[in-house]
Amino acid sequence: MRTIVITGTRKGIGRSLAEHYLSEGWQVAGCSRSASDLEHAHYQHFALDVSDEAAVVNMARQLKKKYTRVDALVNNAGIASMNHALLTPVSTVNRIFQTNVVGTFLFCREMAKLMRRSGSARIVNFTTVAHPLNLEGEAIYAASKAAIESLTRILARELSGLNITVNAVGPTPIETDLIRGVPAAKMQALLERQAIPRMGTVDDVVNAVDFFLREESDFITGQVIYLGGVS
Amino acid sequence: MPDRQAVETLILDSVKMLAEDFDLETLKQPTPELALYGEDGALDSMALVNLIADIEDALSERYALSIALADEKAMSAKNSPYRNVQSLTDAVMERLPA
Ligand SMILES: NC(=O)c1ccc[n+]([C@@H]2O[C@H](COP(=O)([O-])OP(=O)(O)OC[C@H]3O[C@@H](n4cnc5c(N)ncnc54)[C@H](OP(=O)(O)O)[C@@H]3O)[C@@H](O)[C@H]2O)c1
Repeated sequence: MRTIVITGTRKGIGRSLAEHYLSEGWQVAGCSRSASDLEHAHYQHFALDVSDEAAVVNMARQLKKKYTRVDALVNNAGIASMNHALLTPVSTVNRIFQTNVVGTFLFCREMAKLMRRSGSARIVNFTTVAHPLNLEGEAIYAASKAAIESLTRILARELSGLNITVNAVGPTPIETDLIRGVPAAKMQALLERQAIPRMGTVDDVVNAVDFFLREESDFITGQVIYLGGVS
Repeated sequence: MPDRQAVETLILDSVKMLAEDFDLETLKQPTPELALYGEDGALDSMALVNLIADIEDALSERYALSIALADEKAMSAKNSPYRNVQSLTDAVMERLPA
């Protein structure tokens, strides 16, 4: 049985990804700061903050004991803050970078160690169209995702010797709690900048992640796929 | 807490395991002084990364120790702790909790 680690599985896209891979017969290890009500014989939840180094190391140790190796990692946990730069406190900047950048890095580092014996492992990180579209009001969020894209490209090279591919998916807006605060007019203007001007769905994201995880995708690494025709 | 001899044995075991995985003839019967990384070393950087991860793993499994060998101290040390089993043993001993 293949094992996949997905971060941020309590709700939103992460939750749907966990359910999807459970239905596809994977062993799923998920995490989020709070407990999860997802119950399944092949699901294990870790209540932790992705930026807490000791907690992530401990999760990796437990996974190693239980499953000996990990085959895939999806770094989905992420937070955003929509705010003009002049009105953004440093505490928000730190929070966003801790979760998005430090969290993604820590999971890449610890899970890659468990992927060494997989023979063909996959890492999929999460970015956003806010970065290529240079969206006003999302400077810090987009900057944190730009860091993740850079991490993705460089880790693709550093980890290729271990037969691990590292790619990223960049969703357009999708109806989750993450974007609940965005005003309708702003959302409409944003959608109009996409080649295909509609809201994204979780299935659109699952499809892109599926593509990266496929066995046949072992020659695809360091790539970022944006949804909605954004480039 | 493991003593120096136990740590050295653990590292020698890790080197042997890696030598099998990577099929490195010269490292299959390692001695404490045999060059590992750097001048005359048989390990390339990918194999070294694997070895460090294996050693950290083994320390955690056998002794429940959480030790980071690739810390800032190791990166900036004048004499790399990754030269041979001896220097790696020193590095682990230095990092054992007091
Ligand atoms: N929705 C969109 O429009 C959109 C667009 C582009 C990109 N994305 C990206 O897609 C990913 C998922 O977003 P989403 O829309 O599903 O967000 P969401 O509905 O807000 O869910 C975020 C998930 O991450 C977990 N989480 C947040 N901070 C965490 C931390 N520090 N440690 C551990 N878990 C943490 C949350 O659980 P807890 O609260 O229990 O920790 C939750 O399960 C993010 O990376 C986001 O940037 C989303």
